[in-house]
Amino acid sequence: MAEKKIPEVDIIVDEKAGVIKEVKPQQKLRSKKGHERRINGTIYTVLTIMSIVWLVPFVFLVLQSFRSYQLEKGGMVDYLLPKTFSLDNYAFLFEGSNFFSWMGRALLIAAGCALVTALLVHAAGKWLDKRDGNGKAAGIAVIACCLAIGYALMVALSCALHQYALNDCLVKALILLAVFALVGYIVARIYLKQDSKLLRSIPGYVAEDKHEGAKKFGAMALEFGAAFVILQMVLTPMVESQYLKWYGNTLTIALFTAVIQTAIVLSVSYSLSRLRFKGRKLIMNTVLVLGLFPGFLTMITLYFLLKQLGLTQAGSVPGLILIYCASSGMGYYISKGFFDTIPKSLDESARIDGATRFQVFLKIIMPLAKPIVIYTVLMAFMAPWGDYVFASYVAFGHQDGYNVAVGLYNWVNTNDYQNYFTRFCAGGVLVAVPITALFLALQKYYVEGVTGGAVKG
Amino acid sequence: MASLKLEHVKKVYDKNVVAVHDFNLEIQDKEFIVFVGPSGCGKSTTLRMIAGLEDISEGTLTIGDRVVNDVEPKDRDIAMVFQNYALYPHISVYENMAFSLRLRKMSNEEVHRRVCEAAEILGITEYLARKPKALSGGQRQRVAIGRAIVREPQVFLMDEPLSNLDAKLRNQMRAEIILLRKRIDTTFIYVTHDQTEAMTLGDRIVIMKDGYIQQVGTPQEVFETPKNLFVAGFIGSPQMNFLKAKLIKSGAQYAVELYGIRVPLSAAKCEKLEKKGVGGKDVILGVRPEHAQLCFDGAPNAIEGTLRVNEMMGSELHLHVQLQDNTPVILRIPTLELTEQQRASLIYGSKLRFTFPEKVTHLFDPQTEESLLY
Repeated sequence: MAEKKIPEVDIIVDEKAGVIKEVKPQQKLRSKKGHERRINGTIYTVLTIMSIVWLVPFVFLVLQSFRSYQLEKGGMVDYLLPKTFSLDNYAFLFEGSNFFSWMGRALLIAAGCALVTALLVHAAGKWLDKRDGNGKAAGIAVIACCLAIGYALMVALSCALHQYALNDCLVKALILLAVFALVGYIVARIYLKQDSKLLRSIPGYVAEDKHEGAKKFGAMALEFGAAFVILQMVLTPMVESQYLKWYGNTLTIALFTAVIQTAIVLSVSYSLSRLRFKGRKLIMNTVLVLGLFPGFLTMITLYFLLKQLGLTQAGSVPGLILIYCASSGMGYYISKGFFDTIPKSLDESARIDGATRFQVFLKIIMPLAKPIVIYTVLMAFMAPWGDYVFASYVAFGHQDGYNVAVGLYNWVNTNDYQNYFTRFCAGGVLVAVPITALFLALQKYYVEGVTGGAVKG
Repeated sequence: MASLKLEHVKKVYDKNVVAVHDFNLEIQDKEFIVFVGPSGCGKSTTLRMIAGLEDISEGTLTIGDRVVNDVEPKDRDIAMVFQNYALYPHISVYENMAFSLRLRKMSNEEVHRRVCEAAEILGITEYLARKPKALSGGQRQRVAIGRAIVREPQVFLMDEPLSNLDAKLRNQMRAEIILLRKRIDTTFIYVTHDQTEAMTLGDRIVIMKDGYIQQVGTPQEVFETPKNLFVAGFIGSPQMNFLKAKLIKSGAQYAVELYGIRVPLSAAKCEKLEKKGVGGKDVILGVRPEHAQLCFDGAPNAIEGTLRVNEMMGSELHLHVQLQDNTPVILRIPTLELTEQQRASLIYGSKLRFTFPEKVTHLFDPQTEESLLY
C-alpha cells in the first residue's frame, strides 16, 4: 500500500511542476494542431468542391437520361430534375429489338438445365460412391453423360419455346451437341483433375471442401449459360435495334482487343524482362521513341491499308480490332516493370524442374502477375470502348459498322439533335455500366501484393 | 546418378568480362563436390553453367556420357536448390514439390507417393497443405530440398542453400544435408562461401578465386597441403598467419630464419625443396593459429610479440599479437592448457613469446605465391 502511494504523490508533484513548466509548449502544440486542422479543412473543402464540380456532368447526364423525349421535348432545358421520370429513352434504345425476351428465355432455360444437370451429376456421384468403383474413365463418362443430357434438354426446350419444328433445327442442334459434348468432356476432366481419389469428388458440392464445391458448381452453371446463349444465337437470331448493334460492335471490338492485346503485351514484356538477346536495348529504346508520336498520325495511311484489305465501312469491326491490336506490344513498359520485380530464380527453378519457357510464363509468372494481367486487360478493354477517332473514319458512313461513341455522336449531330439529346444521355449511361462494373469488381487487384513468401526478403 | 566432366569450360560475359577461366574438373558418380571461394570467384557461375542457366562460352560439359552444352535445363536431369529457396508462392507446399512431376505427366498416385516420401524424409509432412508464405526459413529450405529430391535427379546442385538461415539453424541443416546425402546417395555439387560448410560436407573441395581453380582436393588435403597462399589463407579459421622469413641452405640441409630464431627443416621437407631446386631466398612462412604454442619459460627459439586483443572463445583463447615489425599474428590457445596465473597475465600490452612445431609449417614463394612444399 505504501509503495503504491509514493508514486501517486510523485505523479501529482510531477504534474504540478509539469503544468507550470509546460504551459508554453502545450500552447504551441495546440496552435500547431489548429494550424494543421485549418490546412486540412481547406484542402478537404477544395477537394469536395472539385469533386462536386467534377461529378455535375455525370449527374446531369444520368438525370437527363430519365427525361422523356416525347413528353418534355428539347435538348437543353433550364432545369436539372426531369418533371416526370420515365424510361422512354432507354426503351427507345431497345426499340424493335427482341433483346430482353431473348435474353430472359436464354437465361431461364440455361438456369433450369444447369439445375437439372447438377442434380443428375450429384446423383451419379452418390451412386458411384456407393459402388466403390474406381477409375477415372468411368467418372468422366458419367459426368459427360449427365452434361449431354442437360444439353439435349436445352435444345428440346428452346425448340419447344420457339415452336420450331424439331427437324428444322435438328442438324444445327446435332452439330452443337457434338461441340458441347466435347466441352463437357473437357469440363469433366477439369472437375476430376486435382483429386487422386477422384470419384469421391465428382459432383462439386459433394467434395469435402464446400468452397471448392461451390466453385465447381458455379463453373458448371456458367458453362451452361454460355452454351445456351450460343445455342440461342444459332437457333434464334436476336433482332437488334440500331443502338444494340453499335453496342454489340463496341463490345466485340473491345473484348477481342482486350484478349489479343493482353496476350501480346504480356508476352512482349515477359520476353523483354527475362530474355537477353541482341538488340534488346535497341528495340526498347526505339519503341520508346516511336511511342512519343501520337497514334492518330498514322490515321490516313491506316485507312488506305484497311481499304485495300476491305476492312473499312462494312468490315469496320475486324478492321478496328486490327488497328487497336497492331502496335499493342509498344505498351510493354508497365508490365515489364512488374515482371522485373518477380524474382528470376523462380523462372530458373521452374526451368530446372522441367518447364519450357512458355510453361514458366503460364504456370508460374501469370498467377503471380494477376494484378498486372488485370490492369492490362482493363486498359486494353477501355481504349477501344471509348474510342472515337479511329472508329469514326474506319466505319465512315456505314451505320452498321459504328461503335457506340460514333453512333451516339451521330444522333446529336443530326438536324433533330435537340430531340435526340436525352436519348444520347441514356445511351451514354448504358455505356458507362460495364466499365463501372469492371472497375468495381477488379479494383482490389491493383494493390494486391504478390510475391510474399517466395523469396526471403 | 552420373559422373560429370568439365573440360576447358570458360564463361565470358558480354563486354569481355571473363567470369570463369579454363575450368577442368572431373566429378565422380555419387561424389559430393563443394565449390568454395570468396564472392565473385565464379563458383556460382560454374554451377549455373552446369544447370544450364548460363551458356557455356567455351569448352565442353559432359553429364554421364552426354555432352550437354546446348541441352535445355529441363532435359539435363538435374535438380537445383537456390539460395533464396525460389518456392512458387501461389501454390501449396505439396504442389510445389509435385510441380516437376506433373510436368512429366506422372500419374497422380506416383506423384502422391513421391511427395509424401520426400516430405517424410525432410519432416515437413504436416506443412504440405500450407503456402510457402506460412513457413519459416528453415522449413522453406526443406521444401526447396524436397522439391529437388522428388525428381530423383542424376545430379543435385545446391547454390549456397544455407546462407539465408541463422547460425543455429545453419548448423542443424548442415548436419541434415550430410544425413540426406547418405540417404539419397547421388552426385552433389554444392556451392558455398563458407569454408566450414565446405570442409564438413565435401568429399572433395574445389577452391576458386577470380575465375581460376586454386586447388582441388579432399578437405584433409587442402587443409594440410595448401597449394598456394590463397588456399592457405582461405581454409581454416581464424586464417593462417603469414610471416616473412629467410630460407637458408647449407648443403642438403635447409633452415628458416625469422625474427632472430632459426628453425631447421625436417628431412622430408628438405627433400622436396631440394627436388624443386630452391636455393636460399626470402619466403613466407605459414603457421596456423592453432599450432602456435605459448612459452612462459625462457625457452630458446621463440618469437616475441605484444598482445593487442585477447578474445575469450570459451574453450580457447584467440590472442591477437603484434610482432616487432608490426606484423599481426593470431594464436589459438586452448584454455585448459593455461594455469589461472598464466591466463591472468594475458592482458593488453603484455609481452609474450610463442613458438611452433616445425612439422606444421608451410613455405610459400613471395613472388608466385605458390607453396614450395606442394
